[in-house]
Amino acid sequence: MNCPMESHDPEMLVAYAAGQLDQEAVAAFEEHLSGCPECSATAADQMAVWQALDVWETPSVSPDFNRRLYHRIETEMRLSWWERLTRPFHPLVLRRILPLTATAALLLMAGLILERPAAVAPATKGAEAVRAEQVERTLEDLELLRQFSAARPGNNEHRDAM
Amino acid sequence: MRSVLLQFGFAAVLAAGACSLSGAQQPAEQPPAGQPAVEQRLNAVLDRWNKMSPEERERELAKLPPERARRIRLLLHRYNLMNPQEQQALRQRYRTFSELPQAEKETVRQRLREFRQLPRERQVTVHAEVDELRRLPDAQRQARYESAEFRGRYSPQERQIIKDLTEYLEPEK
Amino acid sequence: MGVVAAALDYDAELMLRVKDGDGASFALLLEKHRAPVIHFVYRLVQEQAVAEELAQEVFLRVYRSRSSYEPTAKFTTWLFRIATHLALNWLRDEKHERMQERLDDGPPDFPAREVSDRRPSVEDQLMYQARLAEVRRAVAGLPEKQRAAVLMHKYEEMDYVQIAKVLGCSESAVKSLLFRAYETLRARLAHMGRI
Repeated sequence: MNCPMESHDPEMLVAYAAGQLDQEAVAAFEEHLSGCPECSATAADQMAVWQALDVWETPSVSPDFNRRLYHRIETEMRLSWWERLTRPFHPLVLRRILPLTATAALLLMAGLILERPAAVAPATKGAEAVRAEQVERTLEDLELLRQFSAARPGNNEHRDAM
Repeated sequence: MRSVLLQFGFAAVLAAGACSLSGAQQPAEQPPAGQPAVEQRLNAVLDRWNKMSPEERERELAKLPPERARRIRLLLHRYNLMNPQEQQALRQRYRTFSELPQAEKETVRQRLREFRQLPRERQVTVHAEVDELRRLPDAQRQARYESAEFRGRYSPQERQIIKDLTEYLEPEK
Repeated sequence: MGVVAAALDYDAELMLRVKDGDGASFALLLEKHRAPVIHFVYRLVQEQAVAEELAQEVFLRVYRSRSSYEPTAKFTTWLFRIATHLALNWLRDEKHERMQERLDDGPPDFPAREVSDRRPSVEDQLMYQARLAEVRRAVAGLPEKQRAAVLMHKYEEMDYVQIAKVLGCSESAVKSLLFRAYETLRARLAHMGRI
C-alpha cells in the first residue's frame, strides 16, 4: 500500500478512523500502519477526533415544532391566495381606473360570498372534515383485509403486520 | 360611452376571472360517475382526509394518543403507496365487507384479528381452506365442516375463523 | 445498492405525492427528516431556537416547492442543500457574532448529558461541559463550508458524492474540504480523545 500521507490522499485514513472500511481493507491498512509511524500517529489522532465529535449530542426537538410549522404553512397559503387575487389590480389602482376598481371590488366581494375557494379555507368544517377515528377505522379494516389476502398461498406480498 | 363599455367589459372579465379562479381552486368533491356507492364511501373517507390541510390533519391526529396517530400515518402511507391494481383489489374486498350488516361486520373483524394472530404457516393453510370451501356448494361445504379430517386438521378457533370468513368474505380472484 | 435506490424512490415517491396534493405524505417526510435536519442545522449555527426556526423554513420551502418538484437528485440531497443554504446565510449575517460571544461564555443552554446509568458526579458534569465546549469551539472555528462538510460526513454519514451535490462542488473539492477540516480538528481535539 502507498502511504496515504505521502500520497496526500488521507481518504483511507479518515475512513479507517470512522470505521467505514471493510475487513479486507482494514487488514491491509493496519499492516501499513505497523510500518508507518506518521500514518499511525495520524490515524490515532483522527480516531481521537472521531470520538471527541461523538461527545456532541443535540437537544430534543420541541414538542410543538410540527404545530408551528403547519401554522406557518396555513398562514402562508391564506396570504398567497389573497395576494394572487389582488396583485393584478394593484397597477390599475395606481393608475387611473378608479371607477373600475370599485366595480372590481364589488364583483370580488360577490365572488367571495357566493363561492369561497376551498384552497383558501384553513379548515374544512362540518360534513367535509373527516375525523381521525373514521380514518382509523377504515384503515384498520383495509389492513385486516390486506393481511388476510397476503396469506394466500403463492402470494409474495410482504405481510409485515403493522 | 366608450369608457362605460370599457368599464362593463372589464367588470365582465373580472367576474369571469373570479369565477374561474374559485372554480379552479375548488377540488372535485364528487367521485367519478359510475362508481359503486361503497367505493365512493371508501374514497370519500380517505380522499377527504388527504385533501384536508396538513394542520387540520395534525389537529385531528393530536386528539388521539401518539401511538394511534403514528399508526394511522403508517397505514395511510401503505395505502397511498399501493399500485392501482392492489388498491382496486383491496377496494373490491372492502366493498363486500362494508355491505355486511353491522353484527356480521363485527364478526368478520374479530375473525380477521384472530387470523392475524395465527402463525404464518397456519395462516396460509387456513386461507387455502377458505378458498377451497368457497368453491363448494352448500351441502358439500357443510359435509366438510362435519368431517373428522376437518376437525382433526384445525383447532376450534381456526374452524370458526374458516367458517365465518368463508361465509362472509367475497372470494378473491 | 438496491436498498439505497429503494430509499431514494421512497422519499422521492412521497414528495411526488405531496406534489399531487397528498398532505399525509408531507407529514411522513416531516416525521422522518425533521430531527436530522434540526440536528444538522443546530450543529452549524449552535443555537437551538435558531436551528428550529431555520429547520421550519427548510420544510416550508419544501412544501412551497411541491408543485415544481422533480426528483432529479436524492430527496435528502435536496433537503440538506436547502438546510445548508439557509444555515450558511444565517451565519454570514451579523447574528453569528453573537454566537461567537456565547461560545466564550459559560456552559451551553441545554440539559447535561447522562454519561452512564448512575447519576453523574459534579466533576463528570464539569468535565463533559468542558469537552463539549472545546468541540463546539473547534467546529465553530472551521470555515463554513468545511464545517458543513464535516457535519454531513460525521453526523449524517453522507458520502463524498452526496456532500458534493449538497454543496454544489466537485467530489475532489469535498475531499479537500474534509481533509483540511479534519487536519484542523486533529490539531485542536486529538488530545481529548486519546484513551
